[in-house]
Amino acid sequence: MPEPLGVYEHGYTCREIVDLAAEYVEAALPAHESTLFELHLNFCDGCFRFIDQIRDTAGLAARVGEDELPESLRADLLQAFRDWKRA
Amino acid sequence: MNAYKFLAADGRGIFSRHRWVVGEWVEAEVDPCRTGVHACRPRDLPFWLGPALYEIELDGQIVETGFKVIASRGRLTRRVFAWDDEAREAYSQMCISRAAKLAAASSRPLTSWAPPPAASTEGPARMGFIAARLAEEGGGLDAYLDERARQASWLVDRLSLS
Amino acid sequence: MTARWTPRTAACSVGSVAETHTDARPVTDDSALVTRLLAGDERAFEDVARAFYPRMLAVAQGYTRTRAVADEVVQEAWVGVLRALDRFEGRSSLRSWVLQIAADIARTRAVREARSVPVSAFELDVERPETAVEPERFRGPDDPFPGHWRSYPTDWRRLPEQRLVSTETLELVKRAIDELPESRKIIITLRDVTGCSAAEVCDALGVSPEIQRVLLHRARARVRARLERQFDA
Repeated sequence: MPEPLGVYEHGYTCREIVDLAAEYVEAALPAHESTLFELHLNFCDGCFRFIDQIRDTAGLAARVGEDELPESLRADLLQAFRDWKRA
Repeated sequence: MNAYKFLAADGRGIFSRHRWVVGEWVEAEVDPCRTGVHACRPRDLPFWLGPALYEIELDGQIVETGFKVIASRGRLTRRVFAWDDEAREAYSQMCISRAAKLAAASSRPLTSWAPPPAASTEGPARMGFIAARLAEEGGGLDAYLDERARQASWLVDRLSLS
Repeated sequence: MTARWTPRTAACSVGSVAETHTDARPVTDDSALVTRLLAGDERAFEDVARAFYPRMLAVAQGYTRTRAVADEVVQEAWVGVLRALDRFEGRSSLRSWVLQIAADIARTRAVREARSVPVSAFELDVERPETAVEPERFRGPDDPFPGHWRSYPTDWRRLPEQRLVSTETLELVKRAIDELPESRKIIITLRDVTGCSAAEVCDALGVSPEIQRVLLHRARARVRARLERQFDA
């Protein structure tokens, strides 16, 4: 059972940071929370690395390489386009 | 308005990763705590400790918040070279001593919280947090902020800031 | 000389999603493209079919694991798009609109084949409480500094760059994404693998920004954990 926020200290603990990271990385944290978030990152190497790792993970996913339109599907689609043109 | 700013060792903003150049004006839209040029007043310094410290001149729209100042224009004026390895170590040791004292003075056993002198390798920001956090364990948020104010005074003295 | 301050994601050696996916086709090309398609320009159609394929496939694969079926969904989607093309108003980008159609078709088909992955599957996934990192990694209530890391994650900056961005690593990432629950796989594929914006994903899948954000984070957190195991070994 996860403990409620703010039980231990007035700012965030690392436990809270790793779950709030979703909002932070998307720049969706409200102003005050964003400052508290960065206040924590400033002294906590662990969390700073975690955030970097989340971004690295996204960056690696971006390089995974997208699927290319298979030749047979391309031909089928072109045929569908021609059928539509004629209709 | 004159203020201070910490940067990473490579001269980039610690969170923004913006590459700062001393003397060059930087402009930004102010969206407090999100975008804008961020800077410290002396009392904010302990919260934002980083590898390199600079003086910064702020201009344009300026917003003061609880932990920092945000401006639409800023220009680094000079590096505060006094914030060097020696100063960082001295600050860390000061915080470590404070932590030991606060832990000993506490009504419940907190000695396991106090780091040894060797822990200074974890950096001044962490040591500062530990001391303030120990103060908080003993006396709540007010004590935390008091400890941070102590740390700020130490920095202003040591670095001859105004 | 004045510089413009803009926040960036941390300058990591990997490069951000935005840096990898610089979308050369601006959205303002949409009306010109639609005109060409309506005029029967086969080259334009092939180009857009090729360009949109990775994202359409990602959407389809969120609802069916079979590649063959996903490709059928893509084809059905294009038929639907062409039929409705003269009614496209440009309220969203063409790509967003096409993805929405693909999502609708994929969903309908999944329901028909009794493999229903309705929109609420995203909501259901979010409702299940889950942490990005297992609780055991953090100090307990009786430890000094409760809630803090027991031991820090390692610094990936210290890994040799060839290791971080190696083929082996990318294979691992690909596998990890593949093994995610559907709702998360679809979102990380659209956002990170193909570079869709949050708005585009929300429009296409009919989910709220909050839900999209939570599922994206859970997906990334899972993949991060796999990478951590690999790099720490």
